[in-house]
Amino acid sequence: MSDNHTNHGGGSVVRANLARRKPRSFVSNVLAVAYKEANVLRHDRALLFTVLAQPIVILFLFGMALSNKPANVPWVVLDQSNSAQSRRLLEEIESTGYFLPRQTAWSRADGRLRLQRGEALAFLIIPKSFRRDMERSRPRVQLLVDGSDPLSAARVALYVNQVAARSAPPRDPGERALPAVASAGVVDMRQRFWFNPTLLDRNFFLAALAGQLLTNLCMSVTAGGLVLEREMGTFEQMLALPTTALEIVLGKVLPYVGVAYAVFFFSMFGAGLLFNIWPKGGWLPLIVVTLPFVVSSLGLGVFVSTLAHTSAQSVFITTFFIMPSFVLSGILMPYQLMPHGIREFGGIFPLRWYQIALRRVVTRGAGLDEIGVPLLVLAALVVIILLATRWRMKPRLG
Amino acid sequence: MNWRRLRTLVRREVLATLRDPFTVTMLIAVPMIALMLFGFVLSTEVKDLSLGVIDASETPASRRLVAELAANGTFRPQRYDTRDALEIAMVAGDIGAAIIIPPDFDRDLRVSSGRAEGATVQVIYDGAEVVLAGNAEGYLQALVANTVATMSAEDGVRPSRVGVEVASRSLFNPKLDGKPFMIAGTFGFVLSFLTVLITAVSIVTERLTGTFEQLQVTPATGVEILLGKILPLGAVFAFDVVLMVTVAGFVFGVWPQGSMLFFIVVSSFYVLVSLSIGLIISATSTTTGEAVQKSVLFSVPLVQLSGFAFAIRNMPRPVQWLSEIFPATHYIRVSRAIYMRGAGPIDLAPELALLVLFGVVLMVVALRRIEART
Repeated sequence: MSDNHTNHGGGSVVRANLARRKPRSFVSNVLAVAYKEANVLRHDRALLFTVLAQPIVILFLFGMALSNKPANVPWVVLDQSNSAQSRRLLEEIESTGYFLPRQTAWSRADGRLRLQRGEALAFLIIPKSFRRDMERSRPRVQLLVDGSDPLSAARVALYVNQVAARSAPPRDPGERALPAVASAGVVDMRQRFWFNPTLLDRNFFLAALAGQLLTNLCMSVTAGGLVLEREMGTFEQMLALPTTALEIVLGKVLPYVGVAYAVFFFSMFGAGLLFNIWPKGGWLPLIVVTLPFVVSSLGLGVFVSTLAHTSAQSVFITTFFIMPSFVLSGILMPYQLMPHGIREFGGIFPLRWYQIALRRVVTRGAGLDEIGVPLLVLAALVVIILLATRWRMKPRLG
Repeated sequence: MNWRRLRTLVRREVLATLRDPFTVTMLIAVPMIALMLFGFVLSTEVKDLSLGVIDASETPASRRLVAELAANGTFRPQRYDTRDALEIAMVAGDIGAAIIIPPDFDRDLRVSSGRAEGATVQVIYDGAEVVLAGNAEGYLQALVANTVATMSAEDGVRPSRVGVEVASRSLFNPKLDGKPFMIAGTFGFVLSFLTVLITAVSIVTERLTGTFEQLQVTPATGVEILLGKILPLGAVFAFDVVLMVTVAGFVFGVWPQGSMLFFIVVSSFYVLVSLSIGLIISATSTTTGEAVQKSVLFSVPLVQLSGFAFAIRNMPRPVQWLSEIFPATHYIRVSRAIYMRGAGPIDLAPELALLVLFGVVLMVVALRRIEART
């Protein structure tokens, strides 16, 4: 691939002309490049594949398949008491719906073995003295959980605790109510989940669906973007045109913006029609904030392709960028729980701010004024990334 | 199959790679990044979460409750005056949860003849952040209950034991540390997603630049040419496994509870499985872009459904069966079993047999596909 030193003579003439240009030709140049790019896109099988297939796959995954809420939890019980009270406790636990029908252990060792083998996630041991303890108001049970998956383990322990705490010792009909002093010191916590009363995982994931899809779209930009052009030689052809680096970058990015908005609406309508997840804050804030996000993400894709010499390389580099972007953005795993330095570092990725804005508008119903901060940051990122790309491309375009 | 020819082809590949360090650097750097990312990311520990507080009681008891919540840095209380102010703050994402203490909190806490309920507080979570809310719930409940119990005990009031007390303990990972879980899963992620992607792209690129055709005029068969390309790739990934195990150990302090050698052997075999999948994808793609899209489209569900980040048992039954079809699911199960529960070959025999079966089938299909093309 020849470098651009051969064009020196012609280049300086072109540059002199460029210095006299008016702003109107800037726009028309950008549109010209965009038009050419759009025509290329129409024939890009890979892109069409992504645009249509991915939203459907991800809608399915996050709408129906994936969840953090424990379900079908296998558990094993060693009921040494075998009394009406212990059986009632076990039934109450099962009636929460999170657990599978319980397995029975022969001994402590047997129960532990099942945990070891991964056949059960929790092992509940009810001591022989359970019934007597109940009558004396001091009932106690032991719970062993498989801590391999800490999220599930914590949730399961929490559920068992909740059921057990509610399980009041049964009172004889003839017995008088215990004196009030004995019940002092108990606090009743009324809990509510705002914006998502049933704490559905699906609402969390699908609110940010557009963010996922649009980020994936970037991959196709780099794999088939500037780098492919450079390999095929059409890039050199573009250099002969009187366009500047900035015009080329913007022109290349523009058709993808159109595609991105199509994907955006497709995913929002998909989530809405299938799962009734509509933006509570209205469409306008979303449409507005999507623009700087898409431009910055695409710009990032173009920037990445300037770092690579072959399209294979650009795929690798893109993975390099997209993986951290995905993980640290908080789109699937909460960024608020990440260690401090890493939390802030994740703020350089456009996806972080986009998913914040998405969740704010879709689930919490924020309006345009309430997403000011993400908007500003995204706009700033656009400027930075475009400048970096232009700087990177300058030596190449002479 | 002529082994000498194969050896020559492998040598060619290695030399070519050594001249272009970019690919190998990427092949090593990207898994390292994945390891770092996932190792630091998953946490169930709530720290420094902004908590909105409306204290309508303003008594020593309520103030003490708020202080305890802030005590070891779990929550960062911020005072608000009205529910509306709370709502605005929550929408803006300034607070992740809120607690409202009613005016008669102090009184209810002590004695109230005839009242069996005790005090009431209202806790509100940001339902938009489901995972965060779930974690915050556990912490908040525990902290409030403990604080109230302590306060009552100090006042000489014996709290009644309403309900059954559960003494919980966690086997394997008593501190409920997320790191071993994620790190063991990261091997699955890297060896599934990245391996497939990079293999597919490399083969397609090679085909596009025409060097495959050049090799075809040599006496080497199509299979040999491919193996000459694949085996060095596989070797790099196997080296990646060793590197990741070492880095995970030294940087995160996470070593496999079971046999390291066993783990590396199993992982290397799984590399072959992924290589085969990458080969199959490359055989059906004409451009690099297409190879990328197909790899991503295939790998995303694979990774999500394999139990890497989301527990399989939480999925609906039919989806669970679907996930059993992916080799990645079984590998991640094996990986976690070895890392966290110290399982050995006998414990894992059924899963291993399945993996071997998958591997053989996929390799045969891949080689057939390649032969058909070339």
